[in-house]
Amino acid sequence: MALPSFLQTIEESGLSTWMRETESPFGFYFVLLIHTFGLALLVGTNAVVDMRLLGVGRDIPLAPLKRLFGLMWTGFWINAASGTLLVIAYPTKSLTNPDFYVKLTLIGFAVWTMYKLQTNVFDDSSLSEAAMMAKGAKLAKWSLLLWIGAITAGRLLAYTYTHLTYP
Amino acid sequence: MNLAHIHLLLNHFPVIGTIIGLGLFLVSLSGKNDDLKRASLIVFSAVALLAIPTFFSGVGAQGAIKGQPGVSDALIDRHEGAALLALLFMELTGAFALAVLWQLRQHPSPARWNWNLSAVLLFSIVTVGLMTRVGATGGEIRHPEIRPDQSTAATDAATAVAPEEFWASRMVQKFEPSPAKFADLMTANKWWWAFMMDLHFIGLALLIGIVGILDLRLLGLAKQIPVAPLHRLIPWALAGFGINLLTGVLAFTGMADFYAYNWAFWLKMFSILLLGVNAAAFYLTGIFESADRLGPGEDAPLLAKFIAGSSLFLWLAVIALGRYIQWFHDSVDNISPR
Repeated sequence: MALPSFLQTIEESGLSTWMRETESPFGFYFVLLIHTFGLALLVGTNAVVDMRLLGVGRDIPLAPLKRLFGLMWTGFWINAASGTLLVIAYPTKSLTNPDFYVKLTLIGFAVWTMYKLQTNVFDDSSLSEAAMMAKGAKLAKWSLLLWIGAITAGRLLAYTYTHLTYP
Repeated sequence: MNLAHIHLLLNHFPVIGTIIGLGLFLVSLSGKNDDLKRASLIVFSAVALLAIPTFFSGVGAQGAIKGQPGVSDALIDRHEGAALLALLFMELTGAFALAVLWQLRQHPSPARWNWNLSAVLLFSIVTVGLMTRVGATGGEIRHPEIRPDQSTAATDAATAVAPEEFWASRMVQKFEPSPAKFADLMTANKWWWAFMMDLHFIGLALLIGIVGILDLRLLGLAKQIPVAPLHRLIPWALAGFGINLLTGVLAFTGMADFYAYNWAFWLKMFSILLLGVNAAAFYLTGIFESADRLGPGEDAPLLAKFIAGSSLFLWLAVIALGRYIQWFHDSVDNISPR
């Protein structure tokens, strides 16, 4: 089965070629670094909130943690942007790799869980701390599992691709 | 300054430093002196941190002399195997020392004895023994005058190491891995490598999530969160660091030349050492106490903000340098042709 030609079109574009082939340290590696920062911001912060909802660090008051969702969404958008650039740099490598779609699916579910945590648990100021923990515990558990899955799927991209560039 | 220099400079810390630490520890126990006990635990933690770049720089020292007349590959491998085993116990000693230091902070009047202290005593004694062997086997590489057979004849690369004379060395030698076999084990299966890298990223997220939020709080973000409860998550962050230390050392032993001759890798190690200095400045000067008592809405003192800012910057640098290791492939010269 021949690969779709739009992959080649993207790869031959100026931006894509520059990111792959530039001698400057600000090409692909830099975008990948920004993607790692976004991951640290998004998953790191979400993980701390999840752990708190599951009972770790019980004397941290829950309500102020609402402010941390801003950090998480910032991390998310940084990664949406840097992730798009990474796909533009290596469209064939990513879009022909089933693991990439697994990663996107897991991220989708993880971010949806994060959104539900924000709206159902933290945005409802009528809830007591006990009620917040009761409502949030299951979402927190799934959030942690989904993020570990997403990181794993992302890390495995380097070991599971079949085409580096359009053949 | 080259890697051989760095190795010869740093190796004094794990070999002599552990003896000093153990000496202070034993004196503190017999004299029931808590300040001395705390000092010895800090020495163990600091030496455990310094042992890491000491181990890594050994590869550069090896590269500098390998193949030269009178230099035996077998003696170098014996030293490296001994170092790997000693590193394991050194880091365990450091981890338990940090655990006791943490407990001492949380409970100002702790029970006189506990399991963590027993672990520090046991592991530090084993470490001193193993580090003595590392120092001896290292010295024998270039100093035939201290070898048991007193041989001053040039030993060529193919000469096998003579059987150990000392019974304790014979016993320990069974546990010392062969560097070449260990490296093959780490790189034999790409899924094992992927698994180690995966754990490295999970450890990173755990570490940065906790330390990052604490640093940002001290810098003024989300001030409604009181500092002390947030700070009590630090052991989880250290667990993340521990995962990364383990996976990092294993990855290094798998591809030692790739990591050792690399600017990004060394700057990353240097940043981690600076983070150790930053932590010492935070915890040993009273700045921690001033930050820990901050309640909701309270602003941190300027020095605490400076330390938090440095911490955040250095951890981001560690991530950046780690990501750029691949880019800086082969950036440090070997100092002798191979």
